[in-house]
Amino acid sequence: LRMVHYKLTYFDLRGRAESIRQVFAYAGVAFDDVRIPRDKWPELKPQTPFGQLPLLEVDGAPIAQSTAILRFLGKQFELTGKTPLEQAKLDMVVDQMNDFAADIKQFMMVSIGFAQGDKEALYKDLFLPNRDKHFALLVKNITGDFILGHITWADIHLANSLEGLVSKMPDVLDGFPSLKAYMERVHNTPRLRAYLSTRPAAPF
Amino acid sequence: MPAYKFYYFPIRGLGEAPRQIFALAGVEFENIGISDEKWETFQKTETPFGQMPLLEVDGKQIPQSFAICRYIASQHGLAGKTPFEAAWVDALADQYKDFNNDFKKFFYVQLGFEDGDKEEYKKEHGIPARDKFFPLIVKQIKDNGSGLLVGSSATWVDILIAEAVSRIAENVPGFFESYPEIIAHQQKVHSIPQIKKWIEAR
Repeated sequence: LRMVHYKLTYFDLRGRAESIRQVFAYAGVAFDDVRIPRDKWPELKPQTPFGQLPLLEVDGAPIAQSTAILRFLGKQFELTGKTPLEQAKLDMVVDQMNDFAADIKQFMMVSIGFAQGDKEALYKDLFLPNRDKHFALLVKNITGDFILGHITWADIHLANSLEGLVSKMPDVLDGFPSLKAYMERVHNTPRLRAYLSTRPAAPF
Repeated sequence: MPAYKFYYFPIRGLGEAPRQIFALAGVEFENIGISDEKWETFQKTETPFGQMPLLEVDGKQIPQSFAICRYIASQHGLAGKTPFEAAWVDALADQYKDFNNDFKKFFYVQLGFEDGDKEEYKKEHGIPARDKFFPLIVKQIKDNGSGLLVGSSATWVDILIAEAVSRIAENVPGFFESYPEIIAHQQKVHSIPQIKKWIEAR
């Protein structure tokens, strides 16, 4: 069986590549984890399909968009739903979390210093109401150990998203103990625990 | 054949692309319009995420328009013929979603859903979003070679983008003047017999 060659290109950050790296780690599949310095990006950008990163190359063939990449790898590594309906459940939960990310984007940009704004006001008026609304939906839709009966790419991605928020706002999961337990459950799986203890540090 | 019930407001909006996918797939479904008055009750009692569109399949619910699109499309050969093609369909759809998140800041003002100076919002949000996204689509159509976005036959992302383009073109005159390939793609998709028939009857 010929080994497929995977190359992931992103910045030297967790950002939108981290969930993808963790899917490889969970699946135990080797890949080129290419981290480019910022000043190399302008020359690489026009060579990418959508002018953005992360980019996955599968035996040289490019795939853009982090969620599309995650879903593709989830299927390749059997870390996905077993039926179309199960796969749709993963899609719906992840899309809802992506809507949450889009809703709080202005706050996050200000929070990490990429935009100007009143961080306190945005935290109170934009972040908290959206956090409460979307986390309540997550709690409602994750009733077992994982979204489905077994771990999938969507759990790895969600747990990583939650951890990203916790790293910036340590009390963000207060009041959502089942989500905290869910995140820890995913991160305590042996391969992810090993990955997390050895991954490079990055500001976000 | 499972029983499909599709719930949305009785407008095109986020519901039109899923409906057209059903039409192209030749799949029967109950097209249920929930009026504004009925929405408040329906939202609290019936919806997993408090939102529509919502698909019900033999009693099981799927919210989120893209999850619905992909679910129907993937079972009827409308989601790419290989995993790699399917990934590209997804990537293009997500890229469109990113575009729409920016574009809607202008579009909602243009449609009168939000206050603002239409010309100013068009210059600030509408045109930059268009010029960032649609060149990628033009390039993809050219590179793909079939006049469609991925592979040799229509996929759900062709339907998604053609619907968005027609809705924008109807409400922002001349918006795609410098994108003839985009108008050609939209016309090609909307002349597919099952879709043409759906549009004429809606």
